[in-house]
Amino acid sequence: MQRRSWVGAAYAAPTALVVGVLFIVPLVLVGWMSLNDWPLLGAPEINFPENYTGLTDNELIADAAWFTAKYTIVITALLFSVAFGLALLVQHQRRGVGFFRTAFFLPVAVGFASASLLFLGLLSSEIGPFHTDTYISWTSGSPNLALGSAVTLVLWRFAGFNMLIMLTGLQAIPLEIYEAARIDGASRFQLFRRITVPLMRPTIALVLTLMIAGSLLAFDQFWILTRGGPDNRTTSLVMVIYREAFIRLDLGSAAAISVVLLGVLVVFNVIQFGVLRRRSQ
Amino acid sequence: MRGISPLRATLAVLASAALVLGMTACSEDKSDTPTALAVDDGATLTLWTRAATEGVSKAFADAYNANHKNKVQVTAYPNEEYPAKLASAAGAKALPDLFATDVVFAPQYASEGLWLDITNRVSALSFKDKLAQAHLTNGVWKNKNYAVPHTIDMSVMLYNIDLYTRAGLDPTKPPKNLTEFAEHARKIDALGGDVNGTYFGGNCGGCNVFTLWPSVWAAGGEVMSADGMTSSVNSNAMADVFALYRKLYEEGVAAPAAKDEAGPTWLGALQSGKIGIAPGPSVWLGLIEEKGVKMGVAPITGMTGGESTFIGGDSMGIGVTSTKAAQAWDFLTWTMSEDAQVEVVAKGKGVPFRTDFAANKYSSADPRIVAINNLVAKGRTPYAKNFNATYNDPQSPWIATFRGALFGPDAKKALDDGAAKLTASLQKS
Amino acid sequence: MARLSYYTTACALAILFLFPLLWSGWASLESPSGFGLENYERLFTSDNGIRFYHVVNSVLVCLITVGGTLLVSTLGGYAFGRFRFPGRDLLFLVTLAILMVPYATILIALYVLLGWLGLQDSLLGLGLVLIMFQLPFSIFMMRNSFEAVPRELEESALIDGCNSFGVLTRVMLHAVRPGLITVGLFAFLTSWNEFFAPLILLNSTDQFTLTLAVVNMRTASHGAIDYAALEAGVMFMAVPCVLLFLFLQRSYVRGFMSGALKG
Repeated sequence: MQRRSWVGAAYAAPTALVVGVLFIVPLVLVGWMSLNDWPLLGAPEINFPENYTGLTDNELIADAAWFTAKYTIVITALLFSVAFGLALLVQHQRRGVGFFRTAFFLPVAVGFASASLLFLGLLSSEIGPFHTDTYISWTSGSPNLALGSAVTLVLWRFAGFNMLIMLTGLQAIPLEIYEAARIDGASRFQLFRRITVPLMRPTIALVLTLMIAGSLLAFDQFWILTRGGPDNRTTSLVMVIYREAFIRLDLGSAAAISVVLLGVLVVFNVIQFGVLRRRSQ
Repeated sequence: MRGISPLRATLAVLASAALVLGMTACSEDKSDTPTALAVDDGATLTLWTRAATEGVSKAFADAYNANHKNKVQVTAYPNEEYPAKLASAAGAKALPDLFATDVVFAPQYASEGLWLDITNRVSALSFKDKLAQAHLTNGVWKNKNYAVPHTIDMSVMLYNIDLYTRAGLDPTKPPKNLTEFAEHARKIDALGGDVNGTYFGGNCGGCNVFTLWPSVWAAGGEVMSADGMTSSVNSNAMADVFALYRKLYEEGVAAPAAKDEAGPTWLGALQSGKIGIAPGPSVWLGLIEEKGVKMGVAPITGMTGGESTFIGGDSMGIGVTSTKAAQAWDFLTWTMSEDAQVEVVAKGKGVPFRTDFAANKYSSADPRIVAINNLVAKGRTPYAKNFNATYNDPQSPWIATFRGALFGPDAKKALDDGAAKLTASLQKS
Repeated sequence: MARLSYYTTACALAILFLFPLLWSGWASLESPSGFGLENYERLFTSDNGIRFYHVVNSVLVCLITVGGTLLVSTLGGYAFGRFRFPGRDLLFLVTLAILMVPYATILIALYVLLGWLGLQDSLLGLGLVLIMFQLPFSIFMMRNSFEAVPRELEESALIDGCNSFGVLTRVMLHAVRPGLITVGLFAFLTSWNEFFAPLILLNSTDQFTLTLAVVNMRTASHGAIDYAALEAGVMFMAVPCVLLFLFLQRSYVRGFMSGALKG
């Protein structure tokens, strides 16, 4: 119906307004800033492509990019396995399953900044329960310890949330399909591989997208827990953006890194979308 | 057909055009006129400060508000996020009437034009030469003044009198040079248990500049050029100081936790009463004694003698976007008056930044305070436009350099590489 | 899975997940003089501690964010889930793209923008920004919730002579209630716990939110963290959220189900 067209548009108008004014406009500004030498006060001057070419010289960016990529792979693999595992564990109705689901999901109630502060205390030698006789710093003793503590924090905080998403995907699979396959003599593993995983594809895609975007943009956990240390071994890309913008006061350079990061994410999502489209056909 | 609805497109274009135009508009010429006197007419002034300085800023504000028509409102921000706050406000051309920053960041903010040019106002001050010159210089950019001192915090050697006595050392005879300091630390560490000889911020850029550089200055050496453009961190003087601390750490005389100390628990370590002697901020004297630990104070010394200190603290200036410059200047001049320096700063156990009040009725009660106050004349404040990005920031090349010198496999290489990296960072525009 | 091994594994995991929160609660009550509310006292009375106005500000921001998010995402979800109009898919994708931009990047631009709109240093401005950040999740949820509603429900209302708004208010809202509760809950969680946005977008102390006050406890007195009071702050912030969670459990699980993936 032609009428439905503008009715629909009317309902979508508030969304369009918020997205347009509070997202698109700043984003365009950021794009524009990346083309300029942008002082805090005073007039900007176009300096394209300096902000971008300057990125390749910056050793910190290269290290941060490597670390962020590595971190993304680690977190995505671990978080996905844990969340999927938890979902499989609690998918069937049993006694107490409600309690378990709640227990796994409860960390989501704690804000991320709060959760980071919580872990700061938990891993501290002052009041944390993990101190040993020989001194050890869980958050900056070594790069692996620092990464480990950040990963633990993220797993704790986000496993439940992703578990719930996976759960809804699992429970959307009709039982009859399982029944039919079982009658045909399929083993549990085959059921999983041939039925569960394929039918979960959209769910898996959503979860992976959220995890990968979240990891590439990781900031809070490193800022609060490890400060990017020790020796910049847990410095993420967004921390570098923060440093460029607020410490070096080079807004143009910070904008350029942001644009590149956004580009990577868009490309990744387009590819993922394309792969998903193809396979579901 | 798909497309962005025309209304939304227009709105977006208009808004972004407006934004761009707003940002490219020139800021008014804010040159300083001698006719702009200090004015007290009942204005409300906004003052921003960092959490570490909040106490002093509030004390100033409260005392000023009590007998002036102008009223100052203080807002304090978390230390680590304060630079982000300032940058955002500047970007939006919405800076407060007054704001303080760490004195070592003053050159950067002055160069970015975040403060009003107060050159003429400062030169009109009758006591201009009595202000802590090191601080005043840090607020200068291209021969113009932008900031005045606000608080002073100097690095000194703090030593635990109790542990000194137990180790058989004379608490009235603190070390006269750094080598002696190391010896004292070793003796105290020998007490065993969970007592450690010394402590430092092994993961904290600012802490190390604050506590280690004075030893180099005391020996007549340099770590950075006076214009803040070249690093000489691989000079012999600096290398010797690093080697001494490195040895203390390797021997276990320095607490193992020092390696990971990024600053937040530094005071806590000293308050535990288990550290023998360590360099630290003079303002912590009172805070440590509050925990019942008796402390002595001594200047930081060079390898073979000499004394120096890092004159830290905060500078304050008038926000360049403020419309109440005259009223803000009234507050600033008042903070430099005898009333404020003696009744607010000295009474609160702080260090006056006016050298003519270093000896006052409150300080003479405690000889340690007199000793600290006198250091203002012997100390320095390094000047560099890119100080924060080069030294303080957790991702700075300074942290990599000194950690390499203190804990890494090849100290000399770390320092040589460091000198190059630091110089590059200092010169980055 | 064998019964015993199932329950052992599940219990072990449950303990692991509950441990940090339980420890935090315990640490917030423990003090050198035994157990008590000492740390909470310090939390509320110390110079940099929490005050009543922090709570008020946080509540106000939450109300704005939750109310605004529900409004925009309900209308938007309805539009995306039930209507066709030019630019629909593009708008949906752009909304989701909000997830792909780091905070630090657009915060300065937002600060400038709010200044232009006269909303600088205001809880309303902050609320609007938080609404924007909530949109990807909320719109996605509501769209799927609306799509899952059977057409028959709508049709019977239309036959009764309702226009689209009537259909929405009489029939649809009821059907998508679990989704609404989920969206509202998550909007509340984010706005209650948000740290960086209020830090940058608010200037005056009397506008500060709870989270800013609690984080201040970490860095306030440079060199000494009051860990116990910090954990008390964490608890103070987490308890309302945990309670809400437990209370609304069934609804948001249903909300997730109805917002379940349909690709």
